[in-house]
Amino acid sequence: MAEPLTGAQILCRALLEEGVELLFGYPGGAIMPFYHALPEYPGLRHVLVRHEQAAAHAADGYARASGQPGVCVATSGPGATNLVTGIATAHMDNTPLVAITGQVPRAMIGRDAFQETDIIGITQPITKHSRLVEDVEELADAVHEAFAVAREGRPGPVLLDVPKDVQNQKAEWGGGAEGRNAPPFRGSAAPPQLQFALVEAARLIGRAERPLIMAGHGIILSDAYAELRELAERTGIPVITTLLGISAFPESHPLHLGMPGMHGEVHVNRAIQQADLIIGIGLRFDDRVTGNLAAFARGAKVIHIELDASEIGKNVPVTVGLVGDARAILGALLEAVERRHCDAWRAEIESFVRPRVESFKGGLSPEGILVALEEATAGRCTIVSDVGQHQMWVAKLFRYQRPNTHITSGGLGTMGFAVPAAMGVALARPNEPVWAISGDGGFQMNMQEIATMVQERIPVKMAIFNNGYLGMVRQWQQFFHGRRYSATPIWSPDYVRFAEAYGIPGFRVERADQVDGVVRAALAHDGPALVEFLIEQEANVFPMIPPGASLSEPIESEAVTA
Amino acid sequence: MTTQRAVTVLLEDRLITFNRAVGLIRRRNLPVRSIAVGPTVTPGISRLTIMIQSDEATADRAVQQLQKVVGVRQAVAFPARDGVTRELALVKVRATADRYGELLDVVQLYHASVVDDNPDATIVELTGSEAFVLSCIRALERFEILEVARSGAVALEAGLTEAGAHAPATI
Repeated sequence: MAEPLTGAQILCRALLEEGVELLFGYPGGAIMPFYHALPEYPGLRHVLVRHEQAAAHAADGYARASGQPGVCVATSGPGATNLVTGIATAHMDNTPLVAITGQVPRAMIGRDAFQETDIIGITQPITKHSRLVEDVEELADAVHEAFAVAREGRPGPVLLDVPKDVQNQKAEWGGGAEGRNAPPFRGSAAPPQLQFALVEAARLIGRAERPLIMAGHGIILSDAYAELRELAERTGIPVITTLLGISAFPESHPLHLGMPGMHGEVHVNRAIQQADLIIGIGLRFDDRVTGNLAAFARGAKVIHIELDASEIGKNVPVTVGLVGDARAILGALLEAVERRHCDAWRAEIESFVRPRVESFKGGLSPEGILVALEEATAGRCTIVSDVGQHQMWVAKLFRYQRPNTHITSGGLGTMGFAVPAAMGVALARPNEPVWAISGDGGFQMNMQEIATMVQERIPVKMAIFNNGYLGMVRQWQQFFHGRRYSATPIWSPDYVRFAEAYGIPGFRVERADQVDGVVRAALAHDGPALVEFLIEQEANVFPMIPPGASLSEPIESEAVTA
Repeated sequence: MTTQRAVTVLLEDRLITFNRAVGLIRRRNLPVRSIAVGPTVTPGISRLTIMIQSDEATADRAVQQLQKVVGVRQAVAFPARDGVTRELALVKVRATADRYGELLDVVQLYHASVVDDNPDATIVELTGSEAFVLSCIRALERFEILEVARSGAVALEAGLTEAGAHAPATI
């Protein structure tokens, strides 16, 4: 007979069994039994955030950087609802995340108790799975099920809602491998004709005259870098990386083309529009990638390699769908693909390349900043970006060489993501610098987390591209709303003094010649540091496909504006 | 081609699972005509029948998405014309004494039955395809209809089907 444990203790033990070492959370009434038990389990490091949203983003960042599920903890009611944006972010970008929320005692559920919300109901559309644990006897299984579902197949967030009295309920430890009877999660069934489809895909690849590979997040999630590279090198097919596919293919590689879509390079989008075959791997043909669907790559057959069968044909008509893990499918495909080259097509794409329009009037350009960052770190750093203009610059102007070194909120586009997510990334990657790059808008959404970094000694380097505007919205206002800059000018505090208040070094960069020295000084400091870059106020991100337009209709410079 | 299709789902008979499945249908904005749910002979398993007006690709994608829901054991879709579709309706009507015989004639014509009769109101039960049920209700409109309760359609694909082959026959 094992000694009886409380639900809270069982929760901790089950987390340890799942290999969890790190939790991001914030205590409160309905989760107090769990926090009471936590010190008994020193293998679980808890990072106290300053806002639960940051706990979810930090767990997301940790998961993206480590490949292991991130865990965040919050109390019921407002604690749980504050997680929502972070959970939705993880859901859109397929991050394995386990969110644990306290809930009011079972007898109080449904009575509008103090700090009661139906967090299962609220998060249902933004979780892969969620479960209210109704009895301590099912708690260990519920934890194992949560991790299994979060990890398996196409990863995603899972929420466990644990009533306070279940955390206090006693039971014998029934966890452990033999105690697991959580039902296995089933993904969508793969069509049985895989072998036929592989042969057909290889035939299309052999015959295409203007083929392209579009690599998405799935390459990173399935660790298929080597297979992708082999496919590209064996066939000579140029590789496009989507926003979340960036760093799936080395950018110095001669076959690397760039990013497609709304802010994709002109030659990339033009190549898509002229392609006769698109091999989409681990992506979902998001609207930011395709532009107007009716006019997307009209001459191209599409091979879609995707883990989730329900994605195939969802947005773009597919000639051959290959359902499965990108690495496994690419491995099988490589057995059937013959060596070839695409020299004429590559030369044609080369002729599409336009010189970059320099839209920066001042000397301090995002490109200069990112080049300095790359040189100061010799490319050995992970960059976490926020959402907006700087996100596009960071995506396009840093040359990512190593896998999974670019982390951003792609699907949901969550401003405020970078600073807290970078905390999780930094804890997963203690041996390399982690830069959180934000605009002045997004930074101010979660800048309270500097306190967490200081308390927990998390050495995130923060860069703010400060242009005094919510820049991407301002850019849209300039182009599509008659330059009416409604609610986009945004005041910032003195970030140097702000950093001082938190006891961390703060730097302000106003001229290009200051960039390198400051970046190196921030890197040399053993702990979090903040650098504000005062960039030109009304610089724009080019090229830009107007919303609803096709990839063939880019705006390339200011001159086009009415 | 857009046509009436049945999406049938075997799932754990817990409200949360039902909620997840129906929530998915709402979220994906499927053109739903009716939803019916009820127990099967397998303890713990319910059958959910969703009638949608859609093309084949939309229905297939709905099935693939439903298969991802934790607690869903099986989901299939088929065109309504490839199976049998039935719904049940209870219609409470008031017929004056002088027209009561006429009411019974309509009931007989539609192979319906009177399941409750009291001086103020009669409850008529009828079963059939959606079109049949609607036609019968229309026929009853010549009397005073007080209330109508319809079950929503349930459907089974005809012949030996993939669903029948994979699931225990008792479900």
